[in-house]
Amino acid sequence: MRPRLLAVLLAASTGAFGADRDFDRLVKAVESRFGVQRTYIPLMGVASFFVKVARPEGASGFKLAVFEDLKLSADGDGAALDRMMADASGDLRPLVRVRSRRNHEWTYIFTGETGKAARMLIATFARGEATIVEVDLNRDALLRLMENPARAGGPFGK
Amino acid sequence: MRIAIVVLAATLGTAWAQDIKMPPAFDKLAAKAEESVDVTLDSGMLQLGGKFLSDKDADEAKAKKLIGGLKGIYVRSFEFAKEGEYSAADVDALRSQLQPPVWSRVVGVTSKKGGEITEVYFKTSNGAQIGGLVVIDAEPKELTVVSISGAISPEDLADLGGQFGIPKVELPKSKGKEAK
Repeated sequence: MRPRLLAVLLAASTGAFGADRDFDRLVKAVESRFGVQRTYIPLMGVASFFVKVARPEGASGFKLAVFEDLKLSADGDGAALDRMMADASGDLRPLVRVRSRRNHEWTYIFTGETGKAARMLIATFARGEATIVEVDLNRDALLRLMENPARAGGPFGK
Repeated sequence: MRIAIVVLAATLGTAWAQDIKMPPAFDKLAAKAEESVDVTLDSGMLQLGGKFLSDKDADEAKAKKLIGGLKGIYVRSFEFAKEGEYSAADVDALRSQLQPPVWSRVVGVTSKKGGEITEVYFKTSNGAQIGGLVVIDAEPKELTVVSISGAISPEDLADLGGQFGIPKVELPKSKGKEAK
């Protein structure tokens, strides 16, 4: 194998592996912080089919973790969540953070680069539940995200 | 200006990787606000987006050129339940960094009727380009700050509004608004 090709493959696989670690690290951080386990979703394969249908064009590689019965307080958890997400985000870039006291909801979006496009991690905490989503974005989806970052979490995290 | 323009900051510290630093008081404002949004498009993210823009498509080429000169785009927005949740001192802490000769205030509009203040600052640069831009939009129950770091030509400014999480800034024209 040519050294250049090997280097490209290694770089691509390293990026993808790193992103998987980011997802797992976030999941573990939530489990550790709140003392809960991610909810087992029966027939996840079937669910993934519907998610595939529903998800925005240009998104792939969908990973999902759902948590229930989190004890979130309206006033006290914002700073703690910020710290937890900052610690768990690793090399990912923060893109969007939305706090809503009105809806008692926090949304964090991080991005990372993969070989061909971008990877997005979305964490949403609301009403005693948390959802972590990892998704790969192709060129068009990435550009749409950059056009309106604040709305990026909508199709995935809620 | 609606807070739905939204927006992040995962460093969660007070410093942005940009020309100005957000006042530490802004973190406290985020805790008090009904809704707060931070959007961070740092140079890495902008470069990533730029890589996928085509030189062959006229619109994409224009956007690519625009992105190429930027170091970062940052938006911070707060919406409060009632008036008086933030103070003039909170905004002054930001304004104090926007001083001549490096920064010039090019727009300053105050609405006595609505209590809205809109200010636009340019960072001085040589040649035909601006070295950076800061927009402050302060309303009784809302506060929005946009910071764009990097080289921008004045003709590109209009294209940035409504993109990259940057709200469109429409300067008031009606009665009751007085330009400073």
